[in-house]
Amino acid sequence: MHRTVPSLPLAPSMKVKLINAGFQVASDLTDMRPLQLCKEAGISQEEAVEVLQVLRDDGQPHQQRAATESLTALDLLHQEQALGSIVTFCSALDDALGGGVPVGKTTEICGSPGVGKTQLCMQLAVDVQIPVCFGGLGGKALYIDTEGSFLVQRVADMAEAAVQHCTLLAEDTEQRQALEELTVEKILSNLFLVRCHDYVELLAEVYLLPDFLSEHPEVRLVVIDSIAFPFRHDFEDLSQRTRLLNGLAQQLIQLATQHSLAVVLTNQMTTRVSNGQSKLVPALGESWGHAATQRLILHWEGLRRLASLYKSPSQMEATIQYQITVQGFRDAPDEPRTTPDSSAVSSPSGNHSKRPRMEDLS
Amino acid sequence: FINRISDLLGPIIDLLNPEKSGNRLLREVFFLQTFLTHNLDKLLDSGLYTGEITELTGSPGSGKTQVCFSVAVNISHQLKQTVFYIDTKSGMCANRLLQMLQTKTPNMEEQMEALQKIKVFRVFDVFSLLACLQHLRSNGLQKASVGGGSVKTLMVDSVSAVLSSMLGGKQNEGMSLLMQVAGELKMIAKDFNIAVLMTNHVTKDGNGHLKAGLGQSWSHVPRTRVLLQRVEDTETSSLRTATLTKSSRQACHLVEEFDLCHWSEERRTSISGKRKLEERSKP
Repeated sequence: MHRTVPSLPLAPSMKVKLINAGFQVASDLTDMRPLQLCKEAGISQEEAVEVLQVLRDDGQPHQQRAATESLTALDLLHQEQALGSIVTFCSALDDALGGGVPVGKTTEICGSPGVGKTQLCMQLAVDVQIPVCFGGLGGKALYIDTEGSFLVQRVADMAEAAVQHCTLLAEDTEQRQALEELTVEKILSNLFLVRCHDYVELLAEVYLLPDFLSEHPEVRLVVIDSIAFPFRHDFEDLSQRTRLLNGLAQQLIQLATQHSLAVVLTNQMTTRVSNGQSKLVPALGESWGHAATQRLILHWEGLRRLASLYKSPSQMEATIQYQITVQGFRDAPDEPRTTPDSSAVSSPSGNHSKRPRMEDLS
Repeated sequence: FINRISDLLGPIIDLLNPEKSGNRLLREVFFLQTFLTHNLDKLLDSGLYTGEITELTGSPGSGKTQVCFSVAVNISHQLKQTVFYIDTKSGMCANRLLQMLQTKTPNMEEQMEALQKIKVFRVFDVFSLLACLQHLRSNGLQKASVGGGSVKTLMVDSVSAVLSSMLGGKQNEGMSLLMQVAGELKMIAKDFNIAVLMTNHVTKDGNGHLKAGLGQSWSHVPRTRVLLQRVEDTETSSLRTATLTKSSRQACHLVEEFDLCHWSEERRTSISGKRKLEERSKP
């Protein structure tokens, strides 16, 4: 490898000392012993050991391969077909997303309060566990909650509905066997929950995720609900916030690719005033918009809930309607009902609660 | 006396002689006609030029990755050359490449062959990016061109994703890394006669106007810069405008409109979108 010393992942002061001592290329350093390096570069022994360790790690086969090995697009095509996606139980949204939330990419869900972001996240945490023979991924989920809006009872209701849905679909023996193991208790036990109270805890959690994921290789979904909340209040230095968020986004994309999981982030909305008009835009700033691979914006139109796919590398933009029912995140009914009382839309006459009331059950 | 003059003139004449090896001044510049929509090619002065860096900037969802895909597909299918694609955001979607290829040719073998010519590297932080670029410069590119099918294009999507977290604040390494990346890209472009296409994000300046990310220092790196934007009136439409913001060949602020749907077939009608598909005639 022809790495130059300035391009190594070492502390800047260390690199300055090494360059001043005459080391220009990484291969100059590989044959040095710590004591030699210590004397020549004027650094302490521990630092010399550290430098050589970094070099050795860098030269490791798997590290080297990550940066220098390439896949052809054909290999990637086969990989993508094998990875699959997580269904949302709303067929219009699944079509728009090309099968569901894709594995190996980060998806950002933005929306105003009460529009259904947490509902969708909880639905995905249940759907990722649907067995492979039913078209799901059969994997576990990690839910990082920063707002405290995770309700176990709601997830239990959704899990119950999902199990019932699968029971109706079961045709052959393999599916029936898988169905025996699929219970609400099992679904809840495969859902790991972490509660982060501020951004430092969130950053620490993401930093520790690789270890967690190597212990639990069946995890296929990581949800961060929401990523905006800890970064929006109490943050004075906005440029630092942008840097931290960008670094976080890259770490998450790296995890998504290397461990084959889907990462779902929830974002809030903020108002942008321009030319005397105000518009709702996703929070966290302009450069955060570039961070996620896909962006889904959930918004209200009167009493209807709509989801727009705003940014995607492979799907065209589309807007679809959905609804939240007792069973969870579902398709909207086809024709609009005439009287609002009997409508299946779960928020009649301005009742924007997250849990539908008893009289809304259709 | 005349001998001395001819001694002096000798090296200068050699320098101007294009046949001498190691002569950098008059190396042939190829341009790669990218066969993008007619409008975009016009904007880029009929294509990408080798030995130069071209940059695409735009807001999220403005189509930068789609344009990169289209260029990659055109070069690998029509020009039959290898494309190196460095992906830092996991935006590479082979399904989409296949979709684009399917509109060009119904022949499966041709599609697979074209897909095999696109080589993807996935790096997620600036040190891996530098490792990748240095590896390419030292032996990767030569190996690829030996294997048949010369390499004429390198794409980096996106540079800002890995660099923006390093710049600013109390970090003193950001600028050095930025300049190293710039140096590597320029050396690859010049030494191997390769066209480099990269994407960058946008930020808003004080007046609310869009400007390319990574600051003033980065703005000197690309030779040509194109800003992509959505067309303002419709919320979800596939129309985009491309504005030439920096160029050494054409007048700046040339604007062309193009349609992202141009690179794919008619969508299934199961999606109830508010979009209207506007079919543009192929060039």
